[in-house]
Amino acid sequence: MIGITKNFPGVVANQNVDFDLYPSEIHSILGENGAGKTTLMKILAGMHQPDAGKIIVRDRKVKIRSPQDSLRLGIGMVYQHFALIPNLTVIENLILGFEDGLFLNLKKAEQRLQKISAAYGLFVDPEKKIQDLSISERQRTEILKILFHESDVLILDEPTSMLSPVETEDLFDTLKSLRKAGKSVVLITHNLGEALSVSDRITIMRSGKNAAELSGDILMNMDAKTASNRILNVMFGDIPEPRARVAGKVFTDEPVLELKRVEALNNQGVLGLKRISFSIAKGEIVGVTGADSEGRRLLAEVIGGQKRTTAGKLVYRGRNITLTNIAQRFELGIRYVTDERMREGCVLDMALSENAILQSYYRRPFSRFGILNQVSVQSFTDDLISRFGIRATGPNARVSTLSGGNIQKFILARSLSDEPDLIVCSNPTYGLDATTVRLIQQLLKEESRQGAAVLLITTDMDELFSCSNRIGVLFDGAISGFMDRNDATAEKVGKLMLGIHE
Amino acid sequence: MTGSIILLAIGKNPLIYFGLLFTRGMGSSLGVIESIIKMIPLLIISSGLLACFSAGLWNIGTDGQFLIGAMLAGWAAPWISNALPYPAYLITIALLGILGGMAWILLPAVLKARYDINEIITTLMMSWVAVNLVTWLVKGPINDLSTVPAQTPLIPSAYRLPMIPFTRIHVGLIIGIATLLGIHWIIRKTTLGYQFRVMLMNKKAAMHAGMSVPHLTVYGLLISGGLAGLAGAGDVLAVKGLFQGNWNPQYGMTAIPLVFLARLNGWAVIPLAFFFSFLAIGGEFVARDLGVPVFFVHVLEGLTLLFFAASEYFEKKWMHR
Repeated sequence: MIGITKNFPGVVANQNVDFDLYPSEIHSILGENGAGKTTLMKILAGMHQPDAGKIIVRDRKVKIRSPQDSLRLGIGMVYQHFALIPNLTVIENLILGFEDGLFLNLKKAEQRLQKISAAYGLFVDPEKKIQDLSISERQRTEILKILFHESDVLILDEPTSMLSPVETEDLFDTLKSLRKAGKSVVLITHNLGEALSVSDRITIMRSGKNAAELSGDILMNMDAKTASNRILNVMFGDIPEPRARVAGKVFTDEPVLELKRVEALNNQGVLGLKRISFSIAKGEIVGVTGADSEGRRLLAEVIGGQKRTTAGKLVYRGRNITLTNIAQRFELGIRYVTDERMREGCVLDMALSENAILQSYYRRPFSRFGILNQVSVQSFTDDLISRFGIRATGPNARVSTLSGGNIQKFILARSLSDEPDLIVCSNPTYGLDATTVRLIQQLLKEESRQGAAVLLITTDMDELFSCSNRIGVLFDGAISGFMDRNDATAEKVGKLMLGIHE
Repeated sequence: MTGSIILLAIGKNPLIYFGLLFTRGMGSSLGVIESIIKMIPLLIISSGLLACFSAGLWNIGTDGQFLIGAMLAGWAAPWISNALPYPAYLITIALLGILGGMAWILLPAVLKARYDINEIITTLMMSWVAVNLVTWLVKGPINDLSTVPAQTPLIPSAYRLPMIPFTRIHVGLIIGIATLLGIHWIIRKTTLGYQFRVMLMNKKAAMHAGMSVPHLTVYGLLISGGLAGLAGAGDVLAVKGLFQGNWNPQYGMTAIPLVFLARLNGWAVIPLAFFFSFLAIGGEFVARDLGVPVFFVHVLEGLTLLFFAASEYFEKKWMHR
């Protein structure tokens, strides 16, 4: 790819970027959120058309107009949010779009799949429906799909962001065996450690430009620390200062929220939260972690009001709020920042300004007698953009034109704008680059210093330990342990997450 | 073009056909006035559809709601007209039409809101029920026994909708345009319309933010049902003068694609509605002159929609370049 340039409304996503890929190599593209990594690869995968530049595949200049074109050239991409059809089986998904004839020849496809599975150690039950698979199985299916179509180039967009450490290692083993078989892999990531551990080469992108390319030899000759410092330098322009320490204990004992033996059903109608009791005080950050995503989600939704409790009581500033609805809780000063940013946190195809008032649209000055006041909505959004440093062209830009990190900053900004009393955050920094992560954690700490109660539900151990005053662990829908930050160790929390009590 | 080929195939001269279509439909004041009158129910139905489509709700059964509204007006007008002063009588009939249309969509609306039962199917089914119900009613309980065909008593012309001064067009046009632009404004400028739009774009986000999606669903569908009923009442009160059992103009089938072609923009609905009613009226005239069946207009309408849709597709494709 030579001189690739791509403009989105108001944003230059790629500016004169060069990129090359050799057979049998793992090439990482490293950069912070919004640096243009994904855009560059989407151009190669036929999802976007470049405004300028050319693409040369095997010495031939090509035009890639669609994902089909790209697959025909032997290039396949696994997106961060998978593109499988949930109620079809694995094998049906694999042959999707490449069915020949009137009848599906599933048996033949299955035999081929088994061969590929065996060759690369990628096993998935072909008869299972996608909706019944775990995240890592889905990812394997995506990789299999690309191999199934005899592609030589695999592009993986942030493949490890949803995997556990063990699953990540498995994935990297797979990638290495693919490399051995002559395939090329592009790994889009913002995780420096990962990039260093598997890559033959690393391309670093910054603000839509190719900032540096480091070949394997250079990397080999540096020890890990020098290498990472050098890369960070290129990525961010400066080396981030060490993480801030735990926020001082400024909180009083005055509880903002108390949960008393709260229970709730999950979507399958099974008890997903069991006898949850704890409280969050003013000025305190309570960190909660747990291996099971459903339990974490239920806990957040029970407080936000999205989920009804089946037993127990929620007391907020001395008032029983168990039966109040989402809007009433919002009005009382409870903010829930979901981790489903794109799916429920905002409306991607609406303007920032319209998203800014998603929960407060009925309030003055945004609305008077049911009529929206565009001027005040605009100026409110303008204020959010400038106060929280959101990279957007203005209040009228669609949310979908923002990068993931900026969307999260925006959603958080919206929730923090009127000094709420209780903030529930679910994985607030998940998938974001180091700068944004630090910024968001600072924001949360600042809020708690000013007297807000924060419930930080997170799977990021660093975040849990560096932000929380107290730490709770969920296991199998119940609290398996609660402790002061200073009494907590990674080992202790890890064991509690697995349900092991000492 | 395609229309011409079809015309040639059935042995008619397309030049004469289209020439006449335009001279009859737009060339004469009669044609223009007829087209405008025919556009009025389209405007009112479209404004209701504008509201529910903007909320991501599908009311496919406007024809049923229209007929219920029309039937109620035809049944009530003859005897209410004597009992109430003229303005109160008009308002009562309008309200009856609205309530009738609303009543007819209430069940689908509640089923959608409470149990998420697909409103496309339920509104369509209710429409068939309405068609048969009004036919039965007009043959039995509300039949005017003094006439041979099954119909309600004729409304005396003194009790029809008044005309816009100095024209032969009834005030329905003003009501239609006002309703349309009113809904257009509501969708864009009010909190209700804002909630509708959020619901259309991302229902999950609407629920997550605490908007009451069930309530909004009922509101959106009631508005569209009520306005379809109003259109029915208006057509009886202004044009037909009575309700006949076998009468079903099926405006909905024109109004539904029309609102989408207008891209949910109230202003754009007006010229499109005029164009479609011009086609219908012109076609009717020409049918008499040339012996081309009236149905050919439906072919033209269908082709127009097809080409609009195709042009939209290509436009989108070019935009992405």
